[in-house]
Amino acid sequence: MTRNTGSVAPPPSQKMMKLAVAGAAILVVAGAGAFYFASKNMKAGTPNDAIVVTIKDGSCDPNAITVLAGRSTFKIVNNSDRALEWEILDGVMVLEERENILPGFTQTMQAKLKAGNYEITCGLLSSPRGTLHVTPSAESEAEAARPPLVSFVGALAEFQVFLMTQTNSLVKATAALDAAIQSGDLEQARLLYQKARIPYKQIEPMADMFADLHNAIDPIADYLEKREQDPAFTGFHRIEYGLYASNSLDGLAPVSTKLLADVTALKDRVRGLRIPPEQIAKGTARLLSSIADTKVTAGEDHYSKTDLADFEANLAGTSRMMALLKPVVSQAAPTIMADIETRLADANTALTVMRGTDGYPAYDKVSKESREALAQKIKALADAIGKLNSAIGLE
Amino acid sequence: MKLKTTLSASLFAISAAILPRVASAEVAPLDLVGPIADYKVYVSENLEKLVADTKTFTDAVKAGDVDKAKSLFAPTRMSYEAIEPIAELFSDLDGSIDSRADDHEKAEKDPEFTGFHRLEYGLFSENSTKELAPFADKLMADVTELNKRITDLTLPPEKVVGGAAVLMEEVAATKISGEEDRYSHTDLWDFKANFDGSRKIFDLVRPLIEKSDGEFITKVSGNFDKVDVTLAKYKKGDGYELYDKLTDDDRAVLAAAVNTLAEDLSTLRGKLGLN
Repeated sequence: MTRNTGSVAPPPSQKMMKLAVAGAAILVVAGAGAFYFASKNMKAGTPNDAIVVTIKDGSCDPNAITVLAGRSTFKIVNNSDRALEWEILDGVMVLEERENILPGFTQTMQAKLKAGNYEITCGLLSSPRGTLHVTPSAESEAEAARPPLVSFVGALAEFQVFLMTQTNSLVKATAALDAAIQSGDLEQARLLYQKARIPYKQIEPMADMFADLHNAIDPIADYLEKREQDPAFTGFHRIEYGLYASNSLDGLAPVSTKLLADVTALKDRVRGLRIPPEQIAKGTARLLSSIADTKVTAGEDHYSKTDLADFEANLAGTSRMMALLKPVVSQAAPTIMADIETRLADANTALTVMRGTDGYPAYDKVSKESREALAQKIKALADAIGKLNSAIGLE
Repeated sequence: MKLKTTLSASLFAISAAILPRVASAEVAPLDLVGPIADYKVYVSENLEKLVADTKTFTDAVKAGDVDKAKSLFAPTRMSYEAIEPIAELFSDLDGSIDSRADDHEKAEKDPEFTGFHRLEYGLFSENSTKELAPFADKLMADVTELNKRITDLTLPPEKVVGGAAVLMEEVAATKISGEEDRYSHTDLWDFKANFDGSRKIFDLVRPLIEKSDGEFITKVSGNFDKVDVTLAKYKKGDGYELYDKLTDDDRAVLAAAVNTLAEDLSTLRGKLGLN
């Protein structure tokens, strides 16, 4: 590639800059008039008067600003000798910015700010930043206590990505399990069975949203009329029954084909699921309660005895869901959120202590006391999560 | 022609600054969840590609292969430029990955001038890989960190939707001058990625306002199409011609389209109830 010597850049950009300055001068006059009318017409959305920030020699004047939460208007005056951008930063995130403010010119910017401490830029990347302190207003406090639906969108989108990622893993792992079963490799199928369950158990707190598929993918014999002989006994546990109780792959091929079809249908469905924010805490609390009340005592993996790995995956999913909700709800319900985190850590510890160098012991080797201790921790976690929705105005 | 371009960019900036924002509550917030989730997947895929491509690019720089490194500069950048609408979410890394010499006190000689454009300066202006190895390592470390960070980053919907407009505004105000890739003149590659990245966001939220705002949809997609058709004229091999091959007429077409896109897309946040 040869270096071009054309007349494009950068010299023309300097020329353009001069023209822009001249042009902008005309526009500023027009703009000033327009601004006057616009400000006159502005509704009571600007509780603070415009804050003038002058930038010169790599510093802001003033360089410490305090405003009330809500909408603020900033007028940025560029008294430096180069074009600059002005930003309000929350950590590394730019909340609002105005680009390309030419030397000698002023631009106006509106920002809707939540209470907190922010930084403002003052020229070059290396220039020291000023501070912007936003104090709570009655309106912002009310919003924090009862976050509007729109504030959950980011968290719910991440949650949907989580569901998509897990169901992708689920389909891949189930396809591998299916291949082992179809090729008649019992040992390999046992290994892959345990892997395939993990992503499913991570999203199990949302199973109420796909109850039909859940009943096909994960029913246990205890709840079926003819137990293991019941035609509705399908999915993971039917395969588990073959692999660990019958020690045989006989009759598993069609079951495995069906399971793969069901998890694939689940994967296709999660993208379109419309999950209301309250469902996260609701579904999680409900699953954890049922684990504490029945699953820990009775067990679910009757043939493989791998219940502890299931619980671990359930808790991992719970942990992800709570982490996603945290930024949205921590201001409204700081105590409950802190309590949830403590209980989550406790429940994880109760599991970790059972884990040996070879992983978890078979569930029938876990003492009654250990099971009760685990059930207690999970119950406490379920109760803590159960308090969340009403505390943030979602009930 | 250029004067007109810059004037309308300034006019846009001023009007965007002073006009009160009109909120709309026609779109149900939960309808935004799917598009934002899909956008997150788009970002993750681009970052996976960025990390892989940057490895090959920086390896070539470190191996002293000037020609290979030069040929990889523009294509490697594309996945970064495609996600530029959300660069405001990681301004620290954006600074070290993609800042220009003008952002730094000592310009090209500033030790803080790192990233793609520092490598571009060495490769295209000095025609050498001499002393570029530490910058190559730093770029690789930065894109790796970015990929890791984005995995756990919740994307605020107002930043995603607003970012599509802010990027078009930046193209209109500065990039159109050819300032970004001033040493390599590979700006058209960046433009392609910027427009695609911005359009991705528009396309994802489009179904939410298709019925209520059909005219707006037609206008915006028409302008994106115009940009595509114009850029397609400059396709060369897997990439694009150098920026000086762009005729004044085509530059005017691009400038007009991007100005209108910037202006139109700046209303998208309001239309989606995200102000």
